[in-house]
Amino acid sequence: MSLYAFLGTLEIGLIYGLVAIGVYLTFRILDFPDLTVDGSFTLGAAVAATLIVTGQNPYLATLLGTLAASCAGLVTAWLNLRFNILHLLASILTMTALYTINLRVMGKPNVALIMEPTVLSPFEGLGLPDMYMKVIFVAVCAIVGGLLVAWFLRTQYGLAMRSVGSNKRMAQANGIVVTEKVYVGLALSNGLVGLAGALFAQTNGFADSTMGIGTIVVGLAAVIIGESLLASRSMLVIVMSCIVGSVLYRFAVSMALNADFLGFQASDLNLITAVLVALALVFPKLRNEWKAKRAIKEQI
Amino acid sequence: MIRCENLHVTFNRGLPTEKLALQGIDLTIPSGEFVTVIGSNGAGKSTLLNTIAGDIKSTQGKIYFDDRDVTKLPATRRTKDIARVFQDPLAGTCGNLTVEENMSLAYGRGKRGTLASALNNKLRKVFKEQLSRLNLGLEDRLDSEMGLLSGGQRQSVSLLMSALQPSSILLLDEHTAALDPKTAALILDISSQIIKEKQLTVMMVTHSMRQALDHGSRTIMLHEGKIIFDLASKERANYQVKDLLNLFAQARTDGAELDDDKLLLGG
Repeated sequence: MSLYAFLGTLEIGLIYGLVAIGVYLTFRILDFPDLTVDGSFTLGAAVAATLIVTGQNPYLATLLGTLAASCAGLVTAWLNLRFNILHLLASILTMTALYTINLRVMGKPNVALIMEPTVLSPFEGLGLPDMYMKVIFVAVCAIVGGLLVAWFLRTQYGLAMRSVGSNKRMAQANGIVVTEKVYVGLALSNGLVGLAGALFAQTNGFADSTMGIGTIVVGLAAVIIGESLLASRSMLVIVMSCIVGSVLYRFAVSMALNADFLGFQASDLNLITAVLVALALVFPKLRNEWKAKRAIKEQI
Repeated sequence: MIRCENLHVTFNRGLPTEKLALQGIDLTIPSGEFVTVIGSNGAGKSTLLNTIAGDIKSTQGKIYFDDRDVTKLPATRRTKDIARVFQDPLAGTCGNLTVEENMSLAYGRGKRGTLASALNNKLRKVFKEQLSRLNLGLEDRLDSEMGLLSGGQRQSVSLLMSALQPSSILLLDEHTAALDPKTAALILDISSQIIKEKQLTVMMVTHSMRQALDHGSRTIMLHEGKIIFDLASKERANYQVKDLLNLFAQARTDGAELDDDKLLLGG
């Protein structure tokens, strides 16, 4: 793997680390499987790219992209909480609607950001080659995002949110308003995903209506890989393991695609993803079974 | 003080499966009184507790806490006054949070969660102190996952949690039913301690006639959504389990036909 490819893989892994943290918040913390992210990733990118092209400040554009994605999360939460639509279905509805909305936001299927100012512009020409600078920038974003989420989950409010995902009845008996926590959680989760989308558009130079497809699987893969490698109770370790999982996932995919003897093509990406996720899910179970078997053998 | 006025609860109203769970409950429990609630399955005991807690909306009637009308308050806003322990030891705690995290949640009951840290050393000290009362060695397992504790241990912690934040009312819904006799005795013992210490107004649902007579100062029996008898402390002192069982059997066989005369006989 060339240095250039290495840095590129690292960069995308770090950006998707934010997606993984978002997915962790919904799937694990709130126990609310949310597929909205496929749409909100693109929405964050579309809003940011469109605003940048119309001459807005890239930082403002990124912020608005993030907020737009948060709103998408609120819509899913509203459909689920107000009308009792199954969470999975509610999120699929929002995701489907977002596909159209993203096309409308951009006015065309694809917005190019080559030559436009981006959040990275202020750091260009500081002496560091662009490819390093980009990686450092997204690493800082992912780590700061992760630290903030880990801090949040350890506050009283964050703990209340975790109790909602764990035991709604107990949460309610302790005066925690369940619906409010779900709204806030989904807004936060989709906001992180939208931020990732906005950053992705700016580091890669485009926003595309199809860029969000499969975001949920990638995020989930990262969460599961992170969990099976770094089992911990510490919120900080868990959140950071999402980022680590995301980076490892990217490297695993790029290795699989680059290994000539395997003969994969770029179009085999989804199959590789599915196999990786399956492996990450199966591995901890198999490991436990092996351990149990060995323990029995040793007893005999 | 808890006051229920003509409380009615109907499930599935207007459907063939309509169930009149509570049919005109009038009940006043003065502050500091400990009432045990008995009755057969489906009599409405849990419904009554859940309605007072706000989980179930009453179809008719009013509920007051100390002259404040709380009929329309949602469950979460009644938690300032009410602490609860459920029958299922798993229901009162979060299995995938640690002991101290669970206690921190209970410590914040009825308050709005802020962005302050949920745990600190001062709180840990309070939690340790409380847990040491149980003599289960849990004070050294603050950072254990709740799910790793046994049912009895979890229920003990639930009970302590209900007392972490001042409240005036404690609702115990068969909170020892799922435990072995020894643990049940321990839990009841701690319940009594806490109730005395905090001078709580208590309603305890139980299926054990012995428990119903041994604890608290008043016993009510529910049948088909109505209070069919109400034993205050003086008369209750003369009651044996046998007598209660008789009343219980009577209620069952007579069913809906139980009328005022029989109530007088029973009392």
